[in-house]
Amino acid sequence: MNPSISDLDDDEIVITGMGVVTPIGASVADFWEANLQGRSGLRYEDRMDLSQLPCGWVAGIIPDAMKDEVRERSGAEGRSWGDTLMHDALDQALTDARLTSAPARAAALVWARVWPGPSGSFPQDYAPHLQLQAERYQAVGTDPAAVAEYLADRPMPPELTDVSEFQAEVAARIGTPVLGTRLEATCSGGLRAIAEAARLLRLGDADVALVTASVSRSTPYVLSQYGQLMALSRWKGEDPAHASTPFDARRSGMVINESAGALVIETAAHARSRGVGRFHAVIGGWGLAVGTGHVTAPDVTEVERVIRTAIDRSGLTPDDIDTVNAHGTSTKLNDVTEAGALRRVFGDRLSEIDVCAVKSLTGHGSAASGVVETVAAALTLTHDVVPPVATTTEPDPKCGVKTSLTPVERPVRTVLKSSFGFGGQYASMVFRKAAGAPGR
Amino acid sequence: MPRILITRTGLITAAGAGVDPVLAAMEAGRSHIPSGVGTGAGAGPAGAAPAAPAADGTQSPQHRRTPWPTATLDPADTPWPGGKLWDNAKKYANTAAFGAVAAAVQAMAGAEPVTGDTAIASGVVMAVGCSGSDELNEAMARIAVAAQTDPRPLPKLLYDEVPDFSYIRGIPSQIGQFVAIATGFRGSNVAVYGEGGAGGLGALAQASRLLRSGELDRVIVVGVAPPLSTTMLVAYDREDRLGTAAVPGAGPFDAGRSGAFPGQAAVALLLEREDVVPVFGADAVPVELVSCESRCTPERSGAFAAAAGAALSRHGAVPDVWWAHGSGSTATDAEECAVLGALAAGAHVTSSKGTLGTAFECGGLVDVALAAESLRRGQTPPVGLLVKPDPDLGDLEFVVGTARPAASARTALVTAASHGAKAATAGAAVLWGGAL
Repeated sequence: MNPSISDLDDDEIVITGMGVVTPIGASVADFWEANLQGRSGLRYEDRMDLSQLPCGWVAGIIPDAMKDEVRERSGAEGRSWGDTLMHDALDQALTDARLTSAPARAAALVWARVWPGPSGSFPQDYAPHLQLQAERYQAVGTDPAAVAEYLADRPMPPELTDVSEFQAEVAARIGTPVLGTRLEATCSGGLRAIAEAARLLRLGDADVALVTASVSRSTPYVLSQYGQLMALSRWKGEDPAHASTPFDARRSGMVINESAGALVIETAAHARSRGVGRFHAVIGGWGLAVGTGHVTAPDVTEVERVIRTAIDRSGLTPDDIDTVNAHGTSTKLNDVTEAGALRRVFGDRLSEIDVCAVKSLTGHGSAASGVVETVAAALTLTHDVVPPVATTTEPDPKCGVKTSLTPVERPVRTVLKSSFGFGGQYASMVFRKAAGAPGR
Repeated sequence: MPRILITRTGLITAAGAGVDPVLAAMEAGRSHIPSGVGTGAGAGPAGAAPAAPAADGTQSPQHRRTPWPTATLDPADTPWPGGKLWDNAKKYANTAAFGAVAAAVQAMAGAEPVTGDTAIASGVVMAVGCSGSDELNEAMARIAVAAQTDPRPLPKLLYDEVPDFSYIRGIPSQIGQFVAIATGFRGSNVAVYGEGGAGGLGALAQASRLLRSGELDRVIVVGVAPPLSTTMLVAYDREDRLGTAAVPGAGPFDAGRSGAFPGQAAVALLLEREDVVPVFGADAVPVELVSCESRCTPERSGAFAAAAGAALSRHGAVPDVWWAHGSGSTATDAEECAVLGALAAGAHVTSSKGTLGTAFECGGLVDVALAAESLRRGQTPPVGLLVKPDPDLGDLEFVVGTARPAASARTALVTAASHGAKAATAGAAVLWGGAL
């Protein structure tokens, strides 16, 4: 049962609408059901020959039937798949929030669309893309004037420039100017987008904020590059579901996915003013940081810093955190670093805190993961149940976090959510219930 | 709420390093966009020696001509720092990273890197797009040819042949990490760009919110317009025609204008809340950033109106000087003047784009740096390549030919737009150069 908004102070920031498109569901209901059942969306990537790569043979891929459904709902001529995913998730969220009339003032829109590169999102399009590159190179070389002439009348894919009409389409969809921010903060981008949107509301710059992020880039180029970084799972077993095993002793890397998430957030006062009685979660505080030590490796001190900041800015103490929705990528280094930071913050109590890791089922959606996993965090609060980490059958004692193979039913007043990324990106946020939750 | 001050700037353009050479060029009526047809990316001003290759080899001198004259940076103005740390980081740095770090270092010249709590209260906001990494450059084209006959599966071929740094160095916020290393700012780092960029004013607005909310004490906003691939230029030309001959009479607001000229740039603005300024000493004369807003609507005209309306409403006064987006685009100049003419009635109207070209991801930030300095100097420079203002743009006070004294000018409006009608995003910033 969603909590009542009447219990909240006017300036609380609440999530009133949610939408997802993931390998385990293209609706919030299906996504949540799959989370509780531990149903994996991972499969061997059979759309291209990855056999000679040292890793990365498994991906979180949206099933074809689900893709068709999403295209039918949200596709349009000339619209990229990444934009289609965001439109679909956002439409779900707007419907969920019952945001049917234009906000009185500009609406904020904060989004993170991960650019798949000029070939677009699908592996089958990459070889033709390279073929065109080769033909061009053989015809005119790299002389700019000749290239420009060569390209003059040729079609260009919508992903070519990484600029689209998405924002203008949303402005038209909701009938008001959009205070838009397209941001990029590597894999912490989704959670950062939520923080930016919440800040806009707290400053009074907008009454309602839309947040969305999408990723779909399982292409030969991306796989080859992540392969070089040795960041991808090396699971070769019978069941591809076990390729992503956050905090498990057998974990061997992450699994990339295609996914999108969206949220509608607003002040409690604004939600009440338009007759909204229920909400999903209250956004507490957040912590953000940039580390300067390494390009790709996480730093336990920075992780600890953002977690402590998020808790502190929520008006809470570590003892007030009931459960953790982890970044949990299933890489050797991330998981032990994240766990180490959690131990620094929670001490021995960490062994009693239920930790979930959505990437165990969906794979890693880069910037989209922060939004998608926030949906799971909100539902954890709503339903008082922590989803299982169904693939983590051999918990790594070096991590020492408490995961469960089955859903854990327990009162949940607060959830700590984290996202980290290359380039020294760190973000943590606390979500909480209304009545009965500490911190207010 | 404490005021937000712009206390330091770094600027690298085709005119050279710093604000001074740009204003000198504008005042002298000297454009840094090559004048002839087919003197595009990589070429210097007409008659000048060809530009050297960029620091990471993205462009080579023999491949420097496109149909669109482009104002280019001199790689000597974007040095990479020395030392082991920077040597190790260099392979992850593309041309945009060189520009970003150089602009940030220039802005912070003489200031010690911050440490401790000060570092944690200081952040980075980037205005730079995805470079496309190596996907569009010469190396990739050669791999594409090899792929036609190579027996290896495509993922394996790419795994073997594409340099291992290529993916990471195309990430906008990765460049922000380099800026964080250069400045010691460890608060947070984010890139704001693309459709929502509005020439960097989206990033400036983002930085302003970080400060207004009290989350950070200071933010360095760094924008870069690096060399663009020919493919990108073709795409931009399709969106909104680019100019092909940068001659007098082809500049912004001119009756003879026919398109924007691309321009490369790197710019850094240090924003600080008034109550924390002493951290960096008193060597800078600050200008107040009164407001900065960006908006998107289905049509760009609406975006200009919404952004400028929101920015000016915080200030409540008519600007004395208007640094317009004024790119030379036939359509955008008309839309901008039609919408903003009334809001900026009586203001001197100028634009840097006829001198420096349009720095797509950061042109608005470049103009903020220039507007701040011109307020200090009390003089508004003329619009490069503007000879005969288009009468259809209305009765506006375009600065033509020579600089206009503006000793009493205190308020500057800066506007910028994302390129092309698709983006339909505009930004507006209001600066106050009077007594603080």
